[in-house]
Amino acid sequence: MATEATAAPVHANLLATLCEGRERILREIRKVIIGQDAVVNDVVAAFFAGGHCLITGVPGLAKTLLISSLGRAMDLTFRRVQFTPDLMPADITGTEVLEEDRATGSRKLVFRPGPIFTNILLADEINRTPPKTQAALLEAMQEHQVTVSGTTYPLKEPFFVLATQNPIEQEGTYPLPEIQQDRFMFSLLIDYLPKAQEIEVIDATTSAAGAQPDVCMTGGELIEYQRLIRRLPVAEPVIAYAVSLAARSRPTEAGAPDFIRDYVSWGASIRASHYLVLGAKARAALAGRPHVSVQDVGSVAYPVLRHRIITNFRAESEGISSEEIIKRLLQAVSPPKSGL
Amino acid sequence: MTESPKAAMADPAEIERALARVKAARQAIVSELRKVIVGQDDPIDQVLVAMFAGGHCMIQGPPGTAKTLLATCVAQVMDLSFKRIQFTPDLMPSDISGTEILEEDQTTGRRMLRFAKGPVFSNIVMADEINRTPPKTQAALLEVMQERQVTLGGRTYPLPEPFYVIATQISLEQEGTYPLPEAQQDRFMLTISMNYLPERSEAQVVRRSTGAEAVELQKVIGATDLLAFAQAVRQVTLPPALSRYVVDLVASSRPTVPGCPDFVKEYVAWGAGLRASQNIALAAKSAAAQDGRSTVEPQHIRKAIVPVMRHRIGLSFRAEVDHVSVEDVIRRLTQACPEPPSH
Repeated sequence: MATEATAAPVHANLLATLCEGRERILREIRKVIIGQDAVVNDVVAAFFAGGHCLITGVPGLAKTLLISSLGRAMDLTFRRVQFTPDLMPADITGTEVLEEDRATGSRKLVFRPGPIFTNILLADEINRTPPKTQAALLEAMQEHQVTVSGTTYPLKEPFFVLATQNPIEQEGTYPLPEIQQDRFMFSLLIDYLPKAQEIEVIDATTSAAGAQPDVCMTGGELIEYQRLIRRLPVAEPVIAYAVSLAARSRPTEAGAPDFIRDYVSWGASIRASHYLVLGAKARAALAGRPHVSVQDVGSVAYPVLRHRIITNFRAESEGISSEEIIKRLLQAVSPPKSGL
Repeated sequence: MTESPKAAMADPAEIERALARVKAARQAIVSELRKVIVGQDDPIDQVLVAMFAGGHCMIQGPPGTAKTLLATCVAQVMDLSFKRIQFTPDLMPSDISGTEILEEDQTTGRRMLRFAKGPVFSNIVMADEINRTPPKTQAALLEVMQERQVTLGGRTYPLPEPFYVIATQISLEQEGTYPLPEAQQDRFMLTISMNYLPERSEAQVVRRSTGAEAVELQKVIGATDLLAFAQAVRQVTLPPALSRYVVDLVASSRPTVPGCPDFVKEYVAWGAGLRASQNIALAAKSAAAQDGRSTVEPQHIRKAIVPVMRHRIGLSFRAEVDHVSVEDVIRRLTQACPEPPSH
């Protein structure tokens, strides 16, 4: 009978290789990306957890380079789609074309896969495209498959979407509805680099071409690690903490703090507690720890809750952001006393 | 893990020789271009700064200011293939990148799909009036600009090297335009402004263009030279004081950054991003290389600031009301941010 005692050493070995794999990937990414440590860490965590990321930030901060380097380091296919107001669902998912069979001469419809048939998809400026096209992407993201004329085509595995939103020039954009944002595991903010690092970047990018990331992990290994992360045990009090963080953010919930009632119109969904736990598992596993702690949950609170807590008009008029709400929420919800 | 070897440091004498070739090529190109193009010295300078660094540029200016002439002449002198695409409201992405056509094999009678390359398969693509076309087609051009390849039906077709896009825009006040989103403008290294000539030069143009004499332009360099020049440009040194100056100047244009000047908060909706600093540095290196210098000097930076930053700063509504232009803002930024003393 498999007991904790026999299962543990296997875990420990696998976790050690996972932790080392993460170090190797970060080392490869560091060859081309300067700074942005927090964003790089969070993207890698989401990647290993099998969740998708939404990144908000001004252009030119190496988002494409980050995600394409990650693809290169893991030998995965990468595609970028610029979202525009006239992009159609078929431009993402693919379309059927009439093709002639060379041998028989008969014609038939052949499915031409769209750019979504890739391991890593960068959906650039997703809020520039109308809702129907956004929905096509989100549906495929959710289902890991595309259905055209009754036939279902599975997407590649692993499949990871990094969508970007440009916070400036909001004219003529279609903000992603809350329910669609909910499908992203993490929402990350990317900001300008500190000046010292910006100087480093301009020196590095205007000199002779430097090193390129080398392949250091395969897609198959990544899928193994994704499974490993899900197998990591989590103690009941840690799950209870994640659930109460999400539940207490809902203004309709009985135990909601006053500031939630005052400033929040929509609280975090059940997906929030799901991703708080999954994100915490990824954090612990990537650090080589077999135990998921309350701190691991807290460390993913901002990226998980940021796009799931929708502030109301009063919050806006008083300049209270969802960041501020999360900060107060973390103070208001006390972690379990067991010290996990 | 084996680290891939760092690019070998070229020896100084070799760099000097490469830079001497860049300088000589520039002089030869400029004297050829002046045979045909009258009184547009700054635009010629800027086009060469961008091309020697491997960058794309945008040309703005009223009709009839020799924008197309400049691009075609540059292509001739550099012995590069050239295609002009007139952007229209009904242009499709495949009109740019190419399309698969059904072709019948004469001998066997079988039909098959063959990729017919679009006009983008050229060393220089002149994208005329790029803002007259809908966003998806604009994005198709910007994608090939970035990736330097076209992917269709699961196959990848690389573009010729070097590859440059020279785009023009019609003025935004006109009806039926699709303004290029800010993130996409950011992919152009420089914006070159061409204006009407002073009367004396205009008279010279008219005399020449109505005369009988056809000017033959000499080919001065070729595609492989340009690829080597782009390498040489990247060997130029940017002194730390100057890179700090570039970063300070660009950062001061961002209204969200604490400590930016008051007029920025008032007149700027969004400031220049990281690509502005990168491209000022690269343009300055390119200008220094064309002077035959192995180190960037303040005047090279000074020349790069306006063309690099012009399309990267968004003005506020207040600026429009007060008739403040982007150039005004950039001038005030350079006044507010002191240049380091040259040594």
